[in-house]
Amino acid sequence: MVNRLLLVTALLASGHALAEEVAPRTSVVEADNTASLTAESDGFLDPLRELKFNPGLDQREFERSTLAALNIYDPLESMNRRIYHFNYRFDQWVFLPVVDGYRYVTPGFVRTGVSNFFNNLGDVPNLFNSVLQLKGERSAQITARLMFNTIIGVGGLWDPATKMGLARQSEDFGQTLGYYGVHEGPYLVLPIFGPSNLRDTTGLVVDYAGEQAVNYLDVPDTASDHPEITLLRAVDKRYTTNFRYGQTNSPFEYEKVRYVYTQARKLQISE
Amino acid sequence: MFRSLRLVALLGGLLMAAAASARDIDAASYGYPLTNPFEATIATTPPEQRPTLPEDDEIDQSDYSLTLRPEREFTLPDNFWAVKKLRYRLAKQDHEAPLIFLIAGTGAPYSSSINEYLKKLFYQAGYHVVQLSSPTSYDFMSAASRFATPGVSREDAEDLYRVMQAVRAQHPRLPVSEYYLSGYSLGALDAAFVSHLDETRRSFNFKRVLLLNPPVNLYTSISNLDKLVQTRVKGIDRGTTFYELMLEKLTRYFQDKGYIDLNEALLYDFQKSRQHLSNEQMAMLIGTSFRFSAADIAFTSDLINRRGLIIPPKYPITEGSSLTPFFKRALQCDFDCYLTEQVIPMWRARTDGNSLLQLIDQVSLYGLEDYLHNSPKIAVMHNADDLILGPGDIGFLRRVFGDRLTLYPHGGHCGNLNYRVNSDAMLEFFRG
Repeated sequence: MVNRLLLVTALLASGHALAEEVAPRTSVVEADNTASLTAESDGFLDPLRELKFNPGLDQREFERSTLAALNIYDPLESMNRRIYHFNYRFDQWVFLPVVDGYRYVTPGFVRTGVSNFFNNLGDVPNLFNSVLQLKGERSAQITARLMFNTIIGVGGLWDPATKMGLARQSEDFGQTLGYYGVHEGPYLVLPIFGPSNLRDTTGLVVDYAGEQAVNYLDVPDTASDHPEITLLRAVDKRYTTNFRYGQTNSPFEYEKVRYVYTQARKLQISE
Repeated sequence: MFRSLRLVALLGGLLMAAAASARDIDAASYGYPLTNPFEATIATTPPEQRPTLPEDDEIDQSDYSLTLRPEREFTLPDNFWAVKKLRYRLAKQDHEAPLIFLIAGTGAPYSSSINEYLKKLFYQAGYHVVQLSSPTSYDFMSAASRFATPGVSREDAEDLYRVMQAVRAQHPRLPVSEYYLSGYSLGALDAAFVSHLDETRRSFNFKRVLLLNPPVNLYTSISNLDKLVQTRVKGIDRGTTFYELMLEKLTRYFQDKGYIDLNEALLYDFQKSRQHLSNEQMAMLIGTSFRFSAADIAFTSDLINRRGLIIPPKYPITEGSSLTPFFKRALQCDFDCYLTEQVIPMWRARTDGNSLLQLIDQVSLYGLEDYLHNSPKIAVMHNADDLILGPGDIGFLRRVFGDRLTLYPHGGHCGNLNYRVNSDAMLEFFRG
């Protein structure tokens, strides 16, 4: 439960406060001062004994941090919540059963191939946005990925680039806008797509239009005649997304998702 | 005189046998890599030292749901639609096999990561596995709990027992040879009470029961957890909250690295970087996670019982209603507050209960001391540096369980459950 929290935190990012710099350590094992813990007569090593506590035990830091974190601009909350519930139901009754069926009828290597194929198409907007943000090194890496995966990886069905050390790096137009300081605007929950905001929704539309215009490997054109390609792409997207509605197991999942989405986007923009 | 000496020797021998000592694993031969209890709790075992387990695709498993409290369909607000039925997960073997029930820890659902890990471990070893949510989790409280005020272990065990019986009734054709039971953290305490209940109800006749890192004194455990958010954390000031500090560290970590890569090694790598967290920061992080559980429990219990402490009893809630104001109120309530405001009043009203001490005695392992002492089928695995324990708790376990206690030198709270040495010991215990 706790490590899930850290992973969630791992998705997040922040403002510009200055914290103390600490020298890097060589090993996790020689961490701080716990080696000095001495055992009590029954063998108990009290881990709380060494911690520095606020003497009055009346610090309100948890409350302060959390209340501040709940402060996200969400003027359309009522509509957003209804769409959130619609998405939750759609996911349980349509999307996940379809994904389970997909998992059942296709062998693992086919699913990996499908994911690779759509990821390769997705590298086109990644490249565009990387260039727009004037990230030279990253643009070169994505170009190399596109070439290796399209040529050696047979139209993107294999992903040799990752094995060569060129990891997939995602950039979308929402991130580009954020990079140039465009404010995120009101929080939005989109039908089927899920959490977003005005800036990222705009980005989504622009990226879509860009893909249609570039018509890489002729897929967007073919897809307009064969909606099953778009459907497969949606199923693949859901198959590769780990999030499950209800996984936070909390009556306040809406708030938690909203916070994590907002912070995760800030983190993606800042790196 | 010789006779009396012999008698003394005999008595001494008997005493020694009765007080069979716990299995203490020494740190050198144990070899667990994380000696810091906070790191162990957060990061758990490094991937290369975990057992090899099957992928989800290789497991024949599904989620099922049970309608246990049909009246909640009408009494709970609309936005609780997803938790009006209790879901659980069953992994089936294709032949006759023993079945093991797994109970999740504080606030955790059946699909919690530790439950998933234990499922894979036992499924691979040939068991049918049923994963259950904790009685303190949002879904269990809404869909299965009679009073929706978890904390009174005996009542929680009754609720769990009904769930287990309903699970069995839902799969009449599943060929089960015998039943086993396990749980971690608060789920381990629940497992002890369920096992005790089973001695009179006799529905399952559990053959073996394993308690993984249970709280000994429930009040000590919740006080420890509440206290974790009181640590003095460097870097927090008027302009920077704790979360901002954490996010700041993450941002700088990813910027140093050049890209975002979320994988299992991330946590270890992060702790080796210059952004690594201090003990106080890790304690705060663990405490924060538990405070969110406390808020969920306090809110859900208040809402279902219409106590009006957090949400007015007749407040209209639809799918579009904002719960944020109530979330803000629930966040102010830690475990101690939940206990005082909701558990104790209900317990007093229902059972003629009296003082806090009496409640603690009833709901902790103390309440089962004789039973646990005399039941060779129950064993416990614990860590010497577990942060939910207090002074004297390990002494109690030694006295009550004798050689059925395995005490590991490191691991924090549940951090070493997925260490290969521990997983082997768990399988060994159930193998008998």
